[in-house]
Amino acid sequence: MAMLAFSSNAFLRPNPPGPHLRRLLLPKPLSSAAALTPPTPQADPTGGSNPDPDPTPLFLRPASHRVPAAALAAFRLRAAALVPPSAPHLRRHLRWLLADAAANDPASGSDPALLRASLDDLEALWLRHVRGRRPFQYVVGNEHWRDLVVAVREGVLIPRPETEAVVDIVKRVEGFEDGWWADLGTGSGAIAVAVARELGAAGRVFATDVSEVALEVARLNVQRYGVQDKVEIRHGSWFEPLEDVKGKLMGVISNPPYIPNVDLPGLQPEVGWHEPKLALDGGKDGLEHLLHLCEGLSSVLKPGGFFVFETNGDKQSEFLVDLISTKWSSFRNVEAVLDFADIKRFVTGYRR
Amino acid sequence: MACRLLTRSAAARLVSHLRRTPGPTQRLLAPRAALSSLLGSTDGLPHAADSTLRVPARWFSSPSTDAVAEAPVTADGLTVDSIASKGWTILPEAESDWRSHAAAVAQSIKLIKKRLKWGWILERTKQLSVVLERPDLWEDPVFAGMVSREHGELMGKIKSVNQFEQELIEHIEMLRLAREENDNELETESMGDLADMRRNAKEKELNALLSGDNDSCSCFIEVQAGAGGTESMDWAAMVMNMYRSWAQRRGYTVTVVEEMPGEVAGIKRATIKVDGEYAFGYAKAEVGVHRLVRISPFDSGKRRHTSFSAVAVIPILGDASSRYQIKDSDLRIERFRSGGPGGQHANTTESAIRIVHIPTGISATCQNERSQHMNKASAMAVLQSRLDQLEIARQAQMNAEHTQSLNEISWGNQIRSYVLHPYRMVKDLRTNYEVSDPDSVLEGDLDDFILNYLSSALDEADVSK
Repeated sequence: MAMLAFSSNAFLRPNPPGPHLRRLLLPKPLSSAAALTPPTPQADPTGGSNPDPDPTPLFLRPASHRVPAAALAAFRLRAAALVPPSAPHLRRHLRWLLADAAANDPASGSDPALLRASLDDLEALWLRHVRGRRPFQYVVGNEHWRDLVVAVREGVLIPRPETEAVVDIVKRVEGFEDGWWADLGTGSGAIAVAVARELGAAGRVFATDVSEVALEVARLNVQRYGVQDKVEIRHGSWFEPLEDVKGKLMGVISNPPYIPNVDLPGLQPEVGWHEPKLALDGGKDGLEHLLHLCEGLSSVLKPGGFFVFETNGDKQSEFLVDLISTKWSSFRNVEAVLDFADIKRFVTGYRR
Repeated sequence: MACRLLTRSAAARLVSHLRRTPGPTQRLLAPRAALSSLLGSTDGLPHAADSTLRVPARWFSSPSTDAVAEAPVTADGLTVDSIASKGWTILPEAESDWRSHAAAVAQSIKLIKKRLKWGWILERTKQLSVVLERPDLWEDPVFAGMVSREHGELMGKIKSVNQFEQELIEHIEMLRLAREENDNELETESMGDLADMRRNAKEKELNALLSGDNDSCSCFIEVQAGAGGTESMDWAAMVMNMYRSWAQRRGYTVTVVEEMPGEVAGIKRATIKVDGEYAFGYAKAEVGVHRLVRISPFDSGKRRHTSFSAVAVIPILGDASSRYQIKDSDLRIERFRSGGPGGQHANTTESAIRIVHIPTGISATCQNERSQHMNKASAMAVLQSRLDQLEIARQAQMNAEHTQSLNEISWGNQIRSYVLHPYRMVKDLRTNYEVSDPDSVLEGDLDDFILNYLSSALDEADVSK
């Protein structure tokens, strides 16, 4: 508990850089994802700068560990014993961890079982999840999102279930199949891959991100789903890498960082301690990046082009709808769209 | 006694028939839905027309709309009816006695007519012929299509029976001619033809059993365990297995739609889809409660237990109009997640989805998948099939056809008893048909039970003329 309090303080101590400083920092390639990751609250045997010795997601590692069924069963019991009654979701996580680790169907009960990691590695992963509150998605290296299994790792935002709806919103745009789309701040590339899978022969997605780690993961996901010829990954901040397609885009999609910086210290540990601040911190009122995106829209969209942004919810969306429809006359049908929890999660509209 | 399913359906039909019997065409035209209830199956006697080789033209020289052909008569005044009522002794097939053969065939024809509801068919065809002659009929092409299709189907059945009768009379005439002229070769040939007809007639009797509406459809079979915990859930699983292997033996495709496993063993409830011709026609005979008596393997005291399982059978209507149209606005999609700002603020792996169809209150839940999107898709598929079943039942009711679903089956409506201890026997309580080998029945050897039931249900029903 003392550790925990200390770490929260440690997280607060270095003041977040001001907006101007941040913007200067952004286009620079980042040397390490860990620089952006708040320190993990517990002593990490592998060292804070390199949280995971093997960045390959568990479910993609070779099945090279033969483990006697009895040892696996013993591990299951040991791991289950660590689950406190207050956290029943951990039982589900344990089941999924073993499902991802197993090369053959765990129900088949083959002996020895063929695993993608040694029991020691699994135990270390499990401990860091249960005790260190490392997000389960980083533990197994994936997030099941829509009908995809998206690879993720430290330094990349874990795609949220709310964001699944963005793809459906895009699919409702007339003629979306053959347009050029931009996914700004693509992160793991989840949106870009899901949209690309819906596109026709002429359709393309330009997926940009300022983070090298994100681009690496996005590349992996694009490859795994075989949409290399539909998704073009570009390095840079927001619109910067899109100079050559200005005025040609049918649509702009973005799930930018939108959490007001005053809210950052209060985040759920899985998020605040482990996910990249670069993907969460929206600056003052959480609007810094969203405003930047709104300003650039009209120059990259072709006439009639569409945009959809994810936001922090009700107040932010209402503010943006109001701003876009009053400040610029160049947009029509600007509206806030509800997510499944009836929060005004998305702002959409068309360029005239 | 118990042939509840069919007697009720037959009664419903009889009632709707009587209602229409005065038969002015206007009345026929009025409620299309009611009329569609009378659409007969195409498949009453599908093979008869092809298998009958010689069709003497003279009997059908009259226009085909004239449904009631004159009954064929031999030179000395024998008709099929008179043969049947003469009470000639029916000897085994091997005996070459023309009277015996003729009597057997005549009896079969009588049975087939009864199963086809002959009196009703003739009346109905007459009515339809009148409608078909209306000059304005084709102003409503859909209705006209329905009428002419039904008319064609009924005419097919009538013709095929008439041809069969005609054939019988011709063979008898031939035989007498051969005897008068001492033509031994012709006599043997005619006797052989009569014996062939007798075998043919048995097949036609069976085919006539499956001439009901929807009989040719695929179907769902649902099994639900009765009270009694694990023992009865195990019994439900055994019953489900019995139908799966029965369906596979018959060459049907079986898919599991839904399965709710019991805590220890067996199933609380399960639904399978049986795809293939006449799946519903056969399986409908299994609707009701099935009782098992045995020493329970789940009872450490080795006591004898009695358990029950209820079986429901629902036809899958061929036309797409039976698919239930789900409106998005009628759905409430519940996601089990905590409140709060959500989005980037939260990390959650909770993906369970529950979809409620508000107008009917029917719901489906899915939590097997790791993404909400996938759980939603699975839950929607389950919801769609549940609503389809409801729609099928509703349409069936609208069609004045009786379909039983699980909630309608009273647990008192026991149809069959399976005893494994202290003696071994399976007995159908409706027909009293029984076998002493429960294992083969539980492995899917159900056809005898089904055919026995179908024939007794149809043959006892008071529907003939």
